[in-house]
Amino acid sequence: MKRTVGVGAMTILLCTGCSSMGVEPWERDVLAKQEMQLTTDEIEAATDDHIYFSKEASSGGRGFGGGGCGCN
Amino acid sequence: MSQKETHSISVALAAATCTLLGSGISATVDAQEEPAWDFNTSLLYYGEDGDRVKDFSVSAIARRMFIDDRYLTLGLTIDGLTGATPSGAIRQDVAQTFTRPSGNAAYSVAAGVLPLDDTFKDTRLALTAGWQQPVGDTSQVSVGASASKEYDYLHLGVNAKFARDFNQRNTTVSAGIALSMDSLDPVGGAPAPFSPMLDVGDTSNRLGDQDKDVLDIVLGVSQVISRDLVVQANYSYSKSDGYLTDPYKVLSLVDGTSGDTLLRSIAPGVDGPSHQFLFESRPGERTKHSIFGQAKYYMNGKVLDASYRYMSDDWEIDSHTVDLRYRIPFGANRYLEPHLRFYTQTDAEFYRLSIPDSLPLPGHASADYRLGNFDAITAGLKYGWRTRNDNEMSVRIEGYRQTGSVPADQLIGNQVSRDNFPDLNAIIVQFGYRF
Amino acid sequence: MPSSYSLVIASSQGQKRREIRLELAEDAWHGRFQAMGSPCELVCEAKKRHEALELTELVAGEAWRIEDKFSRYRAGNVVHRINTAGGRAVEVDDETADLLDFAVTLYNLSEHRFDITSGVLRRAWHFDGGDRVPSENIVSDVLRLVGWHRADWRRPFLQMPSGMEIDLGGIGKEYAVDRCAGLLREQGSSACLVNFGGDLAVSRAPEGRRSWKVAVEGDAEGEPAHLIDLKQGALATSGDARRYLLKDGIRYSHILDPMTGWPVPDAPRSITIAADTCVEAGMMSTLAMLKGAQAEPFLRAQDVVFWCRR
Repeated sequence: MKRTVGVGAMTILLCTGCSSMGVEPWERDVLAKQEMQLTTDEIEAATDDHIYFSKEASSGGRGFGGGGCGCN
Repeated sequence: MSQKETHSISVALAAATCTLLGSGISATVDAQEEPAWDFNTSLLYYGEDGDRVKDFSVSAIARRMFIDDRYLTLGLTIDGLTGATPSGAIRQDVAQTFTRPSGNAAYSVAAGVLPLDDTFKDTRLALTAGWQQPVGDTSQVSVGASASKEYDYLHLGVNAKFARDFNQRNTTVSAGIALSMDSLDPVGGAPAPFSPMLDVGDTSNRLGDQDKDVLDIVLGVSQVISRDLVVQANYSYSKSDGYLTDPYKVLSLVDGTSGDTLLRSIAPGVDGPSHQFLFESRPGERTKHSIFGQAKYYMNGKVLDASYRYMSDDWEIDSHTVDLRYRIPFGANRYLEPHLRFYTQTDAEFYRLSIPDSLPLPGHASADYRLGNFDAITAGLKYGWRTRNDNEMSVRIEGYRQTGSVPADQLIGNQVSRDNFPDLNAIIVQFGYRF
Repeated sequence: MPSSYSLVIASSQGQKRREIRLELAEDAWHGRFQAMGSPCELVCEAKKRHEALELTELVAGEAWRIEDKFSRYRAGNVVHRINTAGGRAVEVDDETADLLDFAVTLYNLSEHRFDITSGVLRRAWHFDGGDRVPSENIVSDVLRLVGWHRADWRRPFLQMPSGMEIDLGGIGKEYAVDRCAGLLREQGSSACLVNFGGDLAVSRAPEGRRSWKVAVEGDAEGEPAHLIDLKQGALATSGDARRYLLKDGIRYSHILDPMTGWPVPDAPRSITIAADTCVEAGMMSTLAMLKGAQAEPFLRAQDVVFWCRR
């Protein structure tokens, strides 16, 4: 448990330290495409979250834990 | 003025403008009003094999954009569920009879067949609402609420998230919190934990309504690595309190040597269970930690989406999830997207195949396969295309397969030779339309 | 955080200070300055700050040149000379002559309702949101100095009766926008959007996104009536958002009919037109406003892209 938290915190710190990485504002054309968004299709993501919440013991990760139904 | 006369005004104006401005060649105007509303809709079919769960679902998300990047989002989902689900009782070489969760009737399962409870014909309605807006130049806040209702379950929830950009929007750090207040009113009433399954009409072991509260916290960071690569990492904490037991699931009470379910004597003229079953009992608390990482990589038009999640909780369940999607465009208007997902989890500390009568009753126990030891794989293909009026349609077909096993040290006597863990095979078909 | 860069340059008049501010926001540079009584902006996708600055200086320079040359308020320029000629003929240069020729075309296309000599009516009308509506006598007095038919225009000489004035305010801003867009295209520069107080034109379709995004303001609260994706062409809006009179429940728009001296009845509150050039868009919206209640049928007959608000 502590190890999970530690790895998580380190990943976040590592990324906030990456101030030299990235692109200039005019180089965001590819990143602006719909298919490059972190969640491309909201409904598909919500559907998968719901199915796997109902059939497995894990949930969430990308966003909130989901649930809110009597399926599990 | 006739149509022809009035139209000539714009022609004459164009000519006069040309004379005035000279040779500064301009292109023909291309202006379109952006619709205020954006819709994302879907039709879903989920079907497990045999007599097991089938679900039809209709979803819609409507988003309205206001000036300065403010959004209102409304979501609706309607689910219709039928089919049977494993009750937690093990299969036997003889027929078994069970009392339905309502307590009003009984059902039988043939010898050698995995006991499935088919009581669940349920409809669920879920609503969500959210508001998102910028805060200053570099931050964004969103708040939302959710509610869902099915026959035996009510969910109410609120959530909020704050995100801040750094490094010219290359780095975004976010923190979110969600609170759920759910209440259960199981068909027939929630049974007391570890109480026996009783005769039809006997509800003396029933408790009243139950509550369950969940707190979720998500901390995340996303980082643009290059023009073609963006990554994200999240840490999630989830704490559930209250009634976490499944009120419809049981465990078979078995003989400590043979592993066969103990028989039960029923009074003449009475309907009831043929064998002895105990309702399951789960802890009143659950704390989960997850870390999640995702990368999206653009390779000359194709996009690879890869993510990994590790989850660990105080029920001693550990899981790993790897999800891969690869989008391949065909021309400007179509794409194919194969999808692969690998999942594995270890069983909960209190997962039991059955309860042997030779041992003292454990603190908690559940035979719910969803808390067991299994691997799962999903393989699917999605096809998407742009319609004539510039909207998007898609269809995806996926197969989901779970294969698990019961830890060897839990198998007793005749159980060893049987196929104990209920494998799952399901097909998922989803149509999507965005406009 | 958007970085801000200020450059102060002296105008051709020498004494006046005119400021350019350069800001990097989202994925484009915004060069801002004041001209022709409006906040002006150049949005451009330049890769480097110095390119954005050069283009903004180019556009601001042209805007200030046009403002200085055609403004009513600048002593010594061609318009001032025409307006103080006291009945004598004035010789004008090619650019001014082109604008006067254009004004004549519009005068004819609008059945004499678009009239650059109608500016003097401002002596009677003060559109400040109040309720001081002038009397019939005052209006008819001023009306005697209105009417292009009284002017004698034989290129390059313009002669008008003493006391008459011309006002190029109805064409000036749109003309400046198109001139600037043309200069930017000639430079072969990065894609730009020239926006002078809501009259705007595209030099080239953007690369970093699908189209330029323009918000056309709705009512005073700042909620937009329309969000428009503009890939090519121009937009111009005629509207009375801040210039009107309200008396006894009747709203008097600032669009005056030069034949009567009174506001055009039933003029829409705002018309936005999309056209190939800003001049066409602006003139079409003015022509439509002058039609009053018939604005929408007129625009539909023109087969032009428009948004009309009443």
